[in-house]
Amino acid sequence: MVVLRAHMCPGLELQLVRDLREADISTVEELVSADLEALAQKCSVSYKALLAIRRVLLAQHTAFPVSGADLYEDLLSSTAILSTGHPRLDELLDSGLYTGELTELSGGPGTGKTQVCFGVAVHIALHLKQGVIFIDTTGGITATRLHQMLQTESSSLEEQIAALQRIHVFQLFDVFSLLDCLCSLRRSGLQPVAVGGACVRAVIIDSVSAVISPLLGTRHTEGMSLMMQVAALLKALVKDFSVAALCGWGCAPCSGGVLEPPSPHTAAAGGARPEHTQLQLLKVCNAHQVLQTALSHESGV
Amino acid sequence: MQRPVWSLPLSSAVISKLNRRGYQCTADIEHLTAGQLSTETGVKEEEASEVLDLVDHQRYPVSITALELLQREAELKPIVTFCSELDRALGGGIPLGKTIELCGVPGIGKTQLCLQLAVDVQIPECFGGLGAQCLFIDTEGTFFLERLREMAAAVVRHCSLLTEDQEQQDAMRTFTVEKILSNLFVVRCDDSMELLSQISDLPAFLSDHPEVRLIIIDSIAFPFRLHFEDLPLRTRLLLGAAHQLAALATTRNTTVVMTNQMTTRVQGEGSRLIPALGENWGHAANIRLLLQWIDCKRMATIIKSSSHMSTTVHYQINTDGFRDLSEASKRAKVQTEDQKAVGNS
Repeated sequence: MVVLRAHMCPGLELQLVRDLREADISTVEELVSADLEALAQKCSVSYKALLAIRRVLLAQHTAFPVSGADLYEDLLSSTAILSTGHPRLDELLDSGLYTGELTELSGGPGTGKTQVCFGVAVHIALHLKQGVIFIDTTGGITATRLHQMLQTESSSLEEQIAALQRIHVFQLFDVFSLLDCLCSLRRSGLQPVAVGGACVRAVIIDSVSAVISPLLGTRHTEGMSLMMQVAALLKALVKDFSVAALCGWGCAPCSGGVLEPPSPHTAAAGGARPEHTQLQLLKVCNAHQVLQTALSHESGV
Repeated sequence: MQRPVWSLPLSSAVISKLNRRGYQCTADIEHLTAGQLSTETGVKEEEASEVLDLVDHQRYPVSITALELLQREAELKPIVTFCSELDRALGGGIPLGKTIELCGVPGIGKTQLCLQLAVDVQIPECFGGLGAQCLFIDTEGTFFLERLREMAAAVVRHCSLLTEDQEQQDAMRTFTVEKILSNLFVVRCDDSMELLSQISDLPAFLSDHPEVRLIIIDSIAFPFRLHFEDLPLRTRLLLGAAHQLAALATTRNTTVVMTNQMTTRVQGEGSRLIPALGENWGHAANIRLLLQWIDCKRMATIIKSSSHMSTTVHYQINTDGFRDLSEASKRAKVQTEDQKAVGNS
C-alpha cells in the first residue's frame, strides 16, 4: 500500500492530498479504485485533473506484462550455470548452481554443509574468478580452511590471495541484521562488495536456520513471517542481479525414519532412509512450490 | 521490493500505530522527520526517531574479505590442551573465537579438560600462551578448587622447566598458583533461568573484563534436563542461548567451551549413546569433541568441525591433569610395533 504524498506526480499538490485524505482517500490503491466523478465533486477539483493523476499513478505503479518469448530470450542471455567444484554434485544439480535460482542445502549436524559452502565459494572465487558473498550466521567460517582448500587447487600464492579477496564475508547473528544486509545489498546493487573489480556471482548463507530456528514454534507467527521475508528478499536479489544463492538449513539427522527439516517451505521427504548420515539437496524453484530433487548421498560427497 | 514495517525490530504497539495510518513499508516513512511521524501516527517523539534510525539508509552491516579474515585469524593463538596429539589434531589447540562442545559419559574427563583449559589460557605469552583470564560457569557443582590447584602447580612446574631467557624468567616471577587462581572467575548457576540470564549478561561482563578469553559452561545440559516438560521451549531457549554465545565468541575473539551429557537412543533391537539435548542442538556448537572409552582407553574424537579433519586421539587424566598417554606406555607402544615389524620382515 503506497501512501499518497504531495508531488508524487504532476498535479498532485499538497492541498489536493489533504482534501483527498478528508474524503478518506490516503493511498494510491484507494484513489485508483475510487469513483472519480463523485470524488471530483467532493474535493472541488476538475474530473479531468483527477483522471490525469490516476493515469500517471497507474503508469508509475503497475507491473508490465512481458511476452513469453521475450522472457525466454532474457533468461537465455542472463542465466549462467556455476560449477560447484564437485563433479558429482554438479551432476546432481544439472551442471551446477543456476544464477537466478535459490538452492537450499539441508542436513544434520556434521554432515558437511559448511564444507560444501566453502567448496563452492573457493571454486567460484578461484576458477571462475568471480566475487562471492558469504554470510556466516554461526561463527563457523574459518579463513584458514578456505586457504587450505585454495592451496590444494592452486599452487600460486598470487592466485590464492586474489581468490581470498573475492570472497566477502558478513558475520551476522540475528534475523534483523540479515534482513538489513540483504536489503542493503539489493538497494546498492551488490556494489559495495564489487570493489575488487570482480562482479558478484553467488550469495552463500550458512546457515539460515541458525537465525530463524529460535523464533519458530511459538504462538506468535513472527518467526514464519520473518523467514518468508528472508526468502522473498533472497529470491528478488537473485532475479534482479543474476546471481546464484545457496543457503544452508540445519535439520535433525535422519535415522531410518522420515526426515523432517523444520522449514515450512520444504515438504518432508517421504520414505525410509538408510541410517548413515546424509546430505540432502533440495532445489527451491518458487515460493509456492518445491521441486524436490532429494537424492541421498553419503557424507563423502 | 519494499521492506515491510513489521520486519523491523520494533514493539508491536509502534508497528500497529504505523500500520493504522497506512505506513506499511519503510519506503513510506523514509522521507519524514521524527516530528512529522510523531504527529501523523501518534507515536512518541523518541520512538519516532528510533523508527527513523532503523529505516536510515546508512546502516548496513560491513563485510570483510576472506584475506583480512585470514590475517586476523593468524594473530589469534590457540589454547593448548597439554595433550599433544589432541593439539596436533586441532591445529595447535582449541581455537579462539569458536564455540566448542564436549560430550561424553560421566567420568570420562570433561570437567578435567575444562579445568585444564582454565589454567592453560593463562600461560604467559612468552611461553606461547595467551596470558588471559577465564570465566567458569558451574551448573553441576563439580568445580573443585583443590584439583585446579594441582593442575595449576603442574603447569607452573612445566613452565619453570622451560625457562630460558630473561623475559621468561620475569614472567615466571608472577606466574604462580595464586596468580592463576586470581585470574579465574567462577559463577555458580543453579537452574536454567540463572544460566540464561548469566549468558545474557556476558557481553557486559566481557566489557568490564576485557582480559577474559575463555568462557567455560560446565555443563550446559544439566539445568535443562531437570524439570523441563516443554521440550520445544527447551530447544528454542537452548538454540537462542547457543546463538548468543556464538555471536559473543566471534565478535570478542573469545572461546566458549560447553560440556554436554549423553543419553540413550533405542533403535530397534539395540541402543546407542548419543549426545543429550536433542538433535537440533547438534547445530549449535562450531566444534564438537566426543570423549569416550574404547578398549579401556580414553579417546577424544572430533565429530564436527568446519576446519579440522575427523580424528580420534588417545588421552589420559593423571595427577598433573589432562595429558597424552604417558611416556612409559608410548615407549611400550613403539616397542611392540618394532617387534611386529621385526616379526613381519
